[in-house]
Amino acid sequence: MSPRSDQIPEVFENLKLELRRGCLTLAVLTQLRTERYGYTLRKALSDDGLEIDEGTLYPLLRRLENQGLLVSQWREEDKRNKRFYRLSPAGEQTLEQLLKEWQNINASLSKILQEA
Amino acid sequence: MNTSSRNPIELVDRYLQAVRFWLPKNRRQDDLLAELGEDLRSQIDAKEEELGHPLDQAEVSEILKRCGSPMVVASRMGPQRHLIGPTLFPIYLFVLKMVLLWILVPVFIFIVGPVNLANANGNWPAAILNTMGGLWSGAFTAAATITLVFAILESSKALAQHECKWDPAKLPPLEKTERKTSLVQTVCELGFQVSALVWLLLIPQHPFMILGPAAGFLKATPLVHAFYLPIVLLWMFSVARSASILAKPEWTWLPLAGQLFQSIATLTILNFFLHAVTQSPKTEMFPFVVLADSARDSIHYIKIAAVVNVSILISAVGAWIGLSIATIIQTWQLLRHIRKNRSISHQAISAQAR
Repeated sequence: MSPRSDQIPEVFENLKLELRRGCLTLAVLTQLRTERYGYTLRKALSDDGLEIDEGTLYPLLRRLENQGLLVSQWREEDKRNKRFYRLSPAGEQTLEQLLKEWQNINASLSKILQEA
Repeated sequence: MNTSSRNPIELVDRYLQAVRFWLPKNRRQDDLLAELGEDLRSQIDAKEEELGHPLDQAEVSEILKRCGSPMVVASRMGPQRHLIGPTLFPIYLFVLKMVLLWILVPVFIFIVGPVNLANANGNWPAAILNTMGGLWSGAFTAAATITLVFAILESSKALAQHECKWDPAKLPPLEKTERKTSLVQTVCELGFQVSALVWLLLIPQHPFMILGPAAGFLKATPLVHAFYLPIVLLWMFSVARSASILAKPEWTWLPLAGQLFQSIATLTILNFFLHAVTQSPKTEMFPFVVLADSARDSIHYIKIAAVVNVSILISAVGAWIGLSIATIIQTWQLLRHIRKNRSISHQAISAQAR
């Protein structure tokens, strides 16, 4: 059953969200090779063209930490408590595998797009 | 409601307070809020640096508006829900709790249940079963209706408009931090309770102290005598509770827990008391006070005794209803206090670990 014309923007939004979800995880893990706290991480991603809102980033960080890919530490900086994140050893290993996977997908997709 | 505050940082705190209201109450809540707060303050710092002046309320409002309404932000931070999407789910849960716990259950306990019991003609088990059945079907119907309404709302995306219209300036003012019991208040309470205990202990020898001039022709029934000791013990507990609060002000749970225990104990005594009244012979018109032998033939004194008995009965029933409501509220307050303390100690453990 094909979507009605008024449903198409919604379908697009859902697909875009799905597409972004995996990419965001990869981008966040990559940025966290260097230790950062929430705001600077968001800023770094935004400077590279990947906007992410607070309500998405912090639960994602929490999830990645629960999965053992990140480690975090509350620390005082500029007289304020901030939670700093960085990749755990398991996170570094997983990131390497994910990047390889990403490069494979990217290469395949480029090939498919060229053929089309 | 103070919506005219000009303190931009207070606006952030009000915003976080509003997000907290919609977030699921668990250990992650404080952590997420601390990070969100830090992020917002960093955004304010960055903007101030860019503009070269401290932000005013309108500029902070702009940052908060960009972040999203508290309800929407909380929904994004919460777990994924399906039939009712993440945006509407916190409101759905709130309405469901309000209707089931704060409307349906009290209505069945205080209105439907007593009416069923009154019409039971002595068949109390059947009346209780009937009430429980009504409560179950009522709860089921209410939950189904609310779920249906929210599922329809979800599909109509009515909330999209709310997201555009919300205004940070209209956020509720900050709740006052939990006040500690004041020393003066506790000392006054203790003084009053000790005086009342002395008064209570003197009553058996000096009935004038409770009946006034009527002590000359009225006397307490054996039923009242039977409940005298539990009442004295309860009052002694009350004195001990105030003394402990005075001695250990750092036990912040004590006022609430002691109050709850006292309410439950009073309610239990009242239950037995009222039960004993209903068990007394139907011909017994004077369950609490009767006429002394010397006044048994006076119509005037009989009328007074009847009024005193009815007044005591009405007061006891009124106290039972009031205490039942108070017990529910106090239980909720104590649970909230425990939950808050747990999250504070969790934060302290995290801070120590840092």
